[in-house]
Amino acid sequence: MTETLEKQHLAIETRDMHLFYGHFRAVKDVDLQVIPQKITAIIGPSGCGKSTVLRSFNRMNDFVPSFHMEGEVLFHGQNIYATDVDPVMVRQRIGMVFQKPNPFPKSIYDNVAWGARINGFKENMDDLVEQTLRQAALWDEVKDDLRKSGLSLSGGQQQRLCIARALAVKPEIILMDEPCSALDPIATLKIEDLMRELSEQYTIIIVTHNMQQAARASDHTAFFTMDEDRAGIMVEYGETNQIFTNPRDKRTEDYITGRFG
Amino acid sequence: MPRETLDRQIRQLQDEVLLLGSMVEQALLRSVEALRQRDVAAAQKIIRDDLAINEKRYALENAILILIATQQPMAHDLRLLAAILEVNIELERMGDYAKGNAKVVMQLGDSDIQVPMREISRMAELAVGMLHRSLSAFVAEDATLAHAIPEEDELVDALYNQTYRMLVEQMIARPEMIDHVNLLIWVIHNFERAADRVTNICERTVFIATGELFEMDTDDLEDIE
Amino acid sequence: MSGYFSTPKSNLAMRHRVGGVWKAIFFLSTAIGLLALAVLVITILDDVFGLVAVVDKVDRTTLADRPLEDLEKDELLAILDKKVSVNRLRTIQRNGGFTLDEIPAGEVYELVIAEVVKPTVEESYPLFDSLFKRAEIEAEVAQKHPDATIYFYSWLNQRFLTNSMSTTPQLAGVRTALFGSLWIIVITVAFAFPIGVGAAIYLEEYASRSWVNRVIQTNIDNLAGVPSIVYGILGLAIFVRTLSALTSGKAFGVEGVETGRTVLAAGLTMGLLVLPILIINAQEAVRAVPNSLRQASYGLGATQWQTIWHHVLPSAFPGILTGTILAVSRAIGETAPLILVGASSLINKDPQGIFSYFTALPIQIYNWTSRPQAEFRNIAAAAIIVLLVVLLSLNAVAILTRNRLTRRAP
Repeated sequence: MTETLEKQHLAIETRDMHLFYGHFRAVKDVDLQVIPQKITAIIGPSGCGKSTVLRSFNRMNDFVPSFHMEGEVLFHGQNIYATDVDPVMVRQRIGMVFQKPNPFPKSIYDNVAWGARINGFKENMDDLVEQTLRQAALWDEVKDDLRKSGLSLSGGQQQRLCIARALAVKPEIILMDEPCSALDPIATLKIEDLMRELSEQYTIIIVTHNMQQAARASDHTAFFTMDEDRAGIMVEYGETNQIFTNPRDKRTEDYITGRFG
Repeated sequence: MPRETLDRQIRQLQDEVLLLGSMVEQALLRSVEALRQRDVAAAQKIIRDDLAINEKRYALENAILILIATQQPMAHDLRLLAAILEVNIELERMGDYAKGNAKVVMQLGDSDIQVPMREISRMAELAVGMLHRSLSAFVAEDATLAHAIPEEDELVDALYNQTYRMLVEQMIARPEMIDHVNLLIWVIHNFERAADRVTNICERTVFIATGELFEMDTDDLEDIE
Repeated sequence: MSGYFSTPKSNLAMRHRVGGVWKAIFFLSTAIGLLALAVLVITILDDVFGLVAVVDKVDRTTLADRPLEDLEKDELLAILDKKVSVNRLRTIQRNGGFTLDEIPAGEVYELVIAEVVKPTVEESYPLFDSLFKRAEIEAEVAQKHPDATIYFYSWLNQRFLTNSMSTTPQLAGVRTALFGSLWIIVITVAFAFPIGVGAAIYLEEYASRSWVNRVIQTNIDNLAGVPSIVYGILGLAIFVRTLSALTSGKAFGVEGVETGRTVLAAGLTMGLLVLPILIINAQEAVRAVPNSLRQASYGLGATQWQTIWHHVLPSAFPGILTGTILAVSRAIGETAPLILVGASSLINKDPQGIFSYFTALPIQIYNWTSRPQAEFRNIAAAAIIVLLVVLLSLNAVAILTRNRLTRRAP
């Protein structure tokens, strides 16, 4: 009984998740429980597999030929890697924002509308575009030139356009893979504010190199590092406040105080 | 190991805390000596020297803020800096107690009252000793030692109660001296408070070491019981 | 040199000298390339323009009492009637698809010149000799052909473009060959473009890294280097012989074409020839589409086909067009395969469709350069210029299209 309740209250749950590239075990035995409508940050040193973990949540790793996984990734209690699950459906429910802003070489309007259109959106597209651009805090800046190319925007605006584009598909979860690493500090803070607002409706999981960002912007933090086989392991997972003021594990402490390695 | 700049600056801050601590210890001990000698000049010097304590406190606070702003300390580092900030304030207050004692010396002049010098000296020794060891524990981040020190506060409290009764008896015997004897109550109160503040320093030491914050001073609870 | 920047043991001067020498070598390489190009262009131009010494077979002053240009149409017709046999006149009218009565005086005049006066170029001189040694040429002509007239002549002229093949150099033109070449290009692109792009998409987006696909890839890379004559043999065997029913149009009920030596067979052969080039270039264009674009698309819940159709292909299209330009350039200049699949230089009927016998510009050029009369060399040079202009215009169209697409896209 309690278990089913818990299951319903989790956005994503991984069970004994191992991720492989060929024979190399990139991530080992992750049991992560992502709380819905919260921001969960994944931090850790380079090569600890945090991006691989993030991409396994919407099966973006499927495009890497040598990739395979063991264990389960549960979404609404269903394993998204089950044979009867179409990865296209998974990605529609679990959207993604990438490291480098990557708008389509199309107009701002089409950037937002395209995803909805291919997923069979039949209602008023103008309304959807306006609504999602507002959600992404971009509407006021672009409302007069929706026909301009998405690539004509600044880096920060492009990234917010990419967020709007993801929102237009109406996902439940938004995965963000170092979404601010190509942005200046002001644009970064804007995205963080935006994430905070979006977390009222969406579950956000963010991978970041920037510890300060994880500390500022997330509710929960998972710290990953490499074990002696260079496989990524989850060392500690908890409330961000606790992780950054009083981590339980020495390795977390060393990493967040900058004394790693 | 990265973060050498931060580590070096934190060590410097700890040294400064010890320095400030020893200034306060000196001031407290000198205030007892001034009382024993009824030395108004020495009392005046204590009051002047308190300015240096205050200055040092502000300098330390500033240095910590700069370090937080520029080095973005996390976890243990952050707790340490926050604790220094807190201890800093405690030390400055203890410096004020020494100053208060010095003012008492000046107000007493050479009035003819019985000063329970033995008890007051003992209280001062106890309080300064606690302070000294609490600062050692603080810098060493020694939680065990920090846990042990507050227990000594009971001794100070007992001495306080004993001396307080002596002074009240004196007031009853010589009502014309009430004002002056009352000043002495202030003095013993100051040492009692100083010992309490040492307890706060010990709390901070445990906080740095374990990340846990809790009240060590159990006097109030006992009073309620 | 003295002061802060001078160091006693500096080898800086030496390093600068070495750099200077290399710079000179690179400049020389460029200069040699440009020189070769200039020589080529000059050689061609040298043949296209120049002085000609022309002798009329029949003295035109004996045909009428006034200059021929001033005669009325009926007077010109009278001359034709008198000097040209009835059979010949009938042939002319049948071949040209007109009757003498309906054409204007100007054309009748042309006929009189061609059939009666028969001006013959006895000597032609290259452009630079004509410009700088005119006196010597005039002296030479006066001695060898006393009744010849000398004038400056451009072998590349309107008649050259509009006339079809003729055995008389001055009357020969490239119209048939030009249409033949254009037909071949259209068929080549129509055949090779979709197949090439399709194959490229398959190989880049769908094919796994299995050894079968690696073998296919290696083969395509190698096919791009196979000599064109081999493709000619292939085209002859497949399109002309085996599939002659299709390439001659018999299977579709088209009459009048007996063999598979049609423009369709030629276009398909050329298509095979350029297919590897197209595939390789299209593959590169598809590969150059940033992966982030595909990821963005997949991340929105797009299928692989939606990703390819909406993002990969539009982004790769400029690059694919570049490959097509290269392919067209190759196809328009190829001669050997066309000879094998049966291009004939003696055709003066424009291709009427894909099931027509044909000739093509390179075939005409090849044919003319192998003839003994010097004047054919002149028209061969003129045809080369036509070929180059066609090639450059086709490329210009493709480049303009590509630039427009590129500007709109990012």
